[in-house]
Amino acid sequence: MAEKLLRVHRLRRIYVWELPVRIYHWINVLVLLVLVVTGFYIGNPLALMSGKEASEVYTMGWFRFLHFAAAYIFFFNFVFRIYWGFVGNKYANWKQFIPTSKAFWKELKTVLKIDILQMKGDKEEREHLSIGHNALAGLTYFGTFLAFLLQCLTGFGLYASMASWWFPKLFTWVPFLLGGDILTRQIHHWTMWFFILFAVIHVYLVFYHDYVEGRGEISSMGGGWKFIEEDFFKKNKSHTPNPES
Amino acid sequence: MGKRIVVDPITRIEGHLRIEADIENGKIKDAYSSGTMVRLIEEILKGRDPRDAWAYVGRVCGVCTSTHSLTSVRTVEDALKINIPANAELVRNIMHCTLYMHDHVVHFYHLHAMDWVDVVNALKADPKKTSELAQSLSHWPKSSPGYFSDIQARIGKFVASGQLGIFANGYWGHPAYKLPAEVNLIGLAHYLEALEWQKEIVKIHAIFGGKNPHPNYLVGGMACSIGLDDVSGINAERLAMIDRLLEEGKQFIEQVYIPDLMAIASFYKDWGGIGGGLGNYLVYGDLPTKGINDPSSFKFPGGAILNKDISKVYDVDLKKDDEIQEFIKHSWYDYSGGDEQGLHPWKGESKINYTGPKPPFEHLDVKDKYSYLKTPRWNGNAMEVGPLARVLVGYAKGIEEYRAVVDKALTDLNVPVTALFSTLGRTAARGFECALTAQWGREFFDQLISNIKNGDTRMADTSLFNPETWPKTAFGVGFAEAPRGALAHWINIEDQKIANYQLVVPTTWNASPRDTKGQMSAYESSLIDTPVADETQPLEIIRTIHSFDPCMACSVH
Amino acid sequence: MSKHKLSEEKWFEQPTYYDEIRFKGYTRRDFMKFASMMAAFIGLESSAIGQVAKAMETKPRLPVIWLHFQECTCCSESFIRSSHPIVADILLDKISLDYSETLMAASGTQAEAALKNTLEKYKGQYILCIEGSVPTGADGVYCMIGGKTSMQILEEVSENAAAVIAWGSCASNGCVQSAKPNPTSATPIHKLVKGKPVIKVPGCPPIGEVMAGVIVHYLTFGTIPELDRLGRPKAFYSKRVHDTCYRRPFYDAGLFVESFDDENAKKGYCLYKVGCKGPTTYNACGVMKWNAGTSYPIQSGHPCIGCSEENYWDNGRLYQRASSFAGFGIESDADTLGKYALGATGVALAGHAILTNINKRKDINTLTAEGEAGDVDVIE
Ligand code: HEM
Ligand code: HEM
Ligand code: NFV
Ligand code: SF4
Ligand code: SF4
Ligand code: F3S
Ligand SMILES: [Mg+2]
Repeated sequence: MAEKLLRVHRLRRIYVWELPVRIYHWINVLVLLVLVVTGFYIGNPLALMSGKEASEVYTMGWFRFLHFAAAYIFFFNFVFRIYWGFVGNKYANWKQFIPTSKAFWKELKTVLKIDILQMKGDKEEREHLSIGHNALAGLTYFGTFLAFLLQCLTGFGLYASMASWWFPKLFTWVPFLLGGDILTRQIHHWTMWFFILFAVIHVYLVFYHDYVEGRGEISSMGGGWKFIEEDFFKKNKSHTPNPES
Repeated sequence: MGKRIVVDPITRIEGHLRIEADIENGKIKDAYSSGTMVRLIEEILKGRDPRDAWAYVGRVCGVCTSTHSLTSVRTVEDALKINIPANAELVRNIMHCTLYMHDHVVHFYHLHAMDWVDVVNALKADPKKTSELAQSLSHWPKSSPGYFSDIQARIGKFVASGQLGIFANGYWGHPAYKLPAEVNLIGLAHYLEALEWQKEIVKIHAIFGGKNPHPNYLVGGMACSIGLDDVSGINAERLAMIDRLLEEGKQFIEQVYIPDLMAIASFYKDWGGIGGGLGNYLVYGDLPTKGINDPSSFKFPGGAILNKDISKVYDVDLKKDDEIQEFIKHSWYDYSGGDEQGLHPWKGESKINYTGPKPPFEHLDVKDKYSYLKTPRWNGNAMEVGPLARVLVGYAKGIEEYRAVVDKALTDLNVPVTALFSTLGRTAARGFECALTAQWGREFFDQLISNIKNGDTRMADTSLFNPETWPKTAFGVGFAEAPRGALAHWINIEDQKIANYQLVVPTTWNASPRDTKGQMSAYESSLIDTPVADETQPLEIIRTIHSFDPCMACSVH
Repeated sequence: MSKHKLSEEKWFEQPTYYDEIRFKGYTRRDFMKFASMMAAFIGLESSAIGQVAKAMETKPRLPVIWLHFQECTCCSESFIRSSHPIVADILLDKISLDYSETLMAASGTQAEAALKNTLEKYKGQYILCIEGSVPTGADGVYCMIGGKTSMQILEEVSENAAAVIAWGSCASNGCVQSAKPNPTSATPIHKLVKGKPVIKVPGCPPIGEVMAGVIVHYLTFGTIPELDRLGRPKAFYSKRVHDTCYRRPFYDAGLFVESFDDENAKKGYCLYKVGCKGPTTYNACGVMKWNAGTSYPIQSGHPCIGCSEENYWDNGRLYQRASSFAGFGIESDADTLGKYALGATGVALAGHAILTNINKRKDINTLTAEGEAGDVDVIE
């Protein structure tokens, strides 16, 4: 088969994800994995019709221990990320997540049309690009942040009654607000599904962008670099924060 | 029409009952019974898991606690064709006998006694004579003169404090009180003893059902596994405790309750001619010894008696759609097919519509709708249910155990069998069957022990517990003899959920308003011709009403 | 001690009969004469005069009014099961139960008069106990006593109560009658009584000794017990059933009853997988147990159904840990929905991936065309 002659853009290497963001991201991935697995087990423990004595095994105890240990890491990691939203680079800034401008909404629409619904769109729309998160991703992450918050509130709210440290006790008001632990625990359980669904879609979309755009989306969460076409900077096509400004 | 008097609240019952009565020449000419609280549990059950229903309907009543739960699991088991293990049947029977022992004793002493026993008059008794009398009645050890004088002094001090608490404004000194001071004092002493006793007997419910009130039941059997080798299960220690409790319960009933009942009755024989009412009696039957599907094995045989004719006992079919029906002509409900019709419970409806006067009010509009109770009928007949009905059916069927206890009482009191059709008969019948259940409780217990000895330790059949094993639609009816009478629940399961659930409850039979034809139910009918010595003091009315042991939370649900 | 110390504890300052008599200028001797007259009048032997005099010298017992609304009387039933103190002692020595439809001798007008008497004589001093919820639907006609609605009665009787005790789940959270669709708008007491402490003693019913304990606390210490944020006495409701459950080691070990009466049930394993609500239920069952320490639901093999928790009738099913969702099958819970959602997502993503692939082929063709045309990026 004859070699294809592809047009290759001149790319610029941009440092998008600072080390703290990357560390945050991968800690988060790891810890969430642990939380989902252990949480699932706590909710629906496996049948262990074993002839063992209770003194020999501590299965649920370990799962719960892991869940709570991971929960603490998860919580402080999350707090750190919020802090970084104020001191980190512009791709990490909180404004990336909360729609504060018309351009944000416009890009949201564009991403929906082109990437999600795979519609044709006009030329400008087709050439849309964001360097950090696109608007839709940013907003979704904001959603996950809210879910993180909900999960921490309900989780620590439940944990409060079994904890002796003052910190979890700060959350006693949560179950009281919800009228008790029953609802609190159910909300905690339901929210888990949000994370599972989010992760699946998220990972798919990361691969999608990498595949479609070829800008190193996947590796960007490893090394922090993305590769962006030079003419993009020249024509200033971005709808969201202009990397040049 | 005579003078209309209103008794509301009727106290020393469960729930909210109002009686309006017309008095003429010192007698009741006409009477109306109204239940004034509703929760609509039947509506709340719709769409829920049939296996959970026992807990919801259990909360219909905390006095006959466990009866509705028992009836509910039987209902679901009937619908899903689940057969429970023999041990589960025995445990349920033991629990049911326990309920009878508890409920009847509490009714007699704490809810009914003050209609016959003049508490303040007891202070005039001579403790020595009281002691002699008590010892002539039974072997109960607490009967020394010192015992009675201590009680007297305690109550004396209580009365002298001027704060009469639960005894305040009682009908003390009313001419209808006829007991000598000594009998009054015995009654009072046993009021206090029974108060302590009753908290013991229910421990049997706690052992099998985890708590009382509102012990736990389970569709398919019982949740309390037999585990002779485990501290959690029904083991030797638990069984020994039940053994002791059943024995102590039986002793109290035989040595305190029954002697008191007979002593008091002997002074009120005139009440063997008052308060008879309908003369129609209905029993579904209960306490199966060979499974709920074999009525011939029941300790409480089922059947119906009409017009006080105990030579004939009719069969009752809960599934036939024209035998048992509920009417709402005088009840605050609407039927989609109009207010005249009667509905079999499988087609029952519970749509509330209050049309009574706006509170606060003086009188109900008794010509129209006047109660939250529906009006159940058997083949169009108003029926009385309860201890008297059960004792009469057992007696009419010639069952030896019933014959023995009834005939002995009639001989001792020297009254004819017709004296049973009365307020006094109702109160006495409750005592008779209480003594029987105390005996049967032991029999069931012995049977349980022998099963376990023979290696049968099964307590639940969960093969049909999973809803996926159920048919798409199922109909079921479960019945029981509740302490207050015949109880049944009807269920309609669709797509694993409750599509309809209807309860027809003992007190619904007895306390309901009139039917479409204007026929009275048991309460109203039994009040007719009751003498009222003092219109401002309704002692005689509450005597007859209490003889039914009303439970209004049950009746309306 | 409690921060809810009552501002007016007039009940403790009530004069005794003796105080009153002395205040009116009579002597001790007159008083003894009066006491013996009193004893004779109520028909006691002379040996009892001392007792009578003593009764008249001691303070009045705490007046208690106990109302029943939408309920099943299981709370009263549980109360009389208390074994320390036993109820006879509470009734005769500790409180004056001036109104209780379950136990009082008087009916009708006499009962109403007894109530009125206490309302007037002990204004601001009586404890109001309430069993049952108040239906607020249809202007309150779903519960009427003496021709008045429970709403009207509650307003009247709570006005001058020193404190209000909401017995059981009915009074503190509406219990079964407030479960969906709550056809009578059954409402718990704290939502209707404002401006005074409402002590919630939830449970269906509460444990008898817990009920007696709340009253005894007030009698002994003169204050209501310390309450948690939901208004429940901390003493009895600060721990989960799960935290005091003797089956807890099996939970931690991961050893569970899989179905009723299985081998594991006979061994007393944890009931979590058959729906136990102990992990989300605050009650004293595991420690105090029921009926004088005889047992509690879990000890008798049945999972805790969470009977002391708000809205427990709607928040969960008995034998499943998760609640079901309206409009789906009886077995469907969050996990069922989650699995469906996951499946749907998978399908959607696969579709998306195929489309993406087709589009990418077009992109490659464009790039190929551009590349073959020798098009290059301009670099400045
Ligand atoms: C193979 C696995 C993953 C890869 C390669 C990956 C990659 C990435 C990349 C490239 C971004 C930036 C994307 C953008 O801005 O559009 C990102 C952001 C994010 N990812 Fe992932 N991800 C992975 C798994 C996960 C998982 C499992 C989760 C959690 C459930 C997760 C949560 C997040 C969050 C919350 C952000 C926003 C980060 C921030 O700005 O704070 N990721 N991920
Ligand atoms: C963000 C990710 C998290 C996920 C996906 C997750 C998931 C779950 C799940 C599914 C359960 C079982 C619920 C049930 O069905 O009963 C659970 C229980 C629990 N989780 Fe989490 N959780 C997360 C975070 C947290 C956090 C941050 C805490 C804070 C301490 C926490 C504390 C708890 C506690 C206390 C329980 C109850 C354990 C018990 O009572 O034995 N969780 N979690
Ligand atoms: N009526 C009635 Fe019940 C009884 N016995 C039940 O079915 O009391 Ni509460
Ligand atoms: S709280 Fe439960 S137990 Fe108490 S009266 Fe209500 S239904 Fe009965
Ligand atoms: S039985 Fe219930 S309360 Fe006890 S440990 Fe298991 S889950 Fe917890
Ligand atoms: S069901 Fe209720 S009685 Fe206790 S163990 Fe659970 S709180
Ligand atoms: Mg009904």
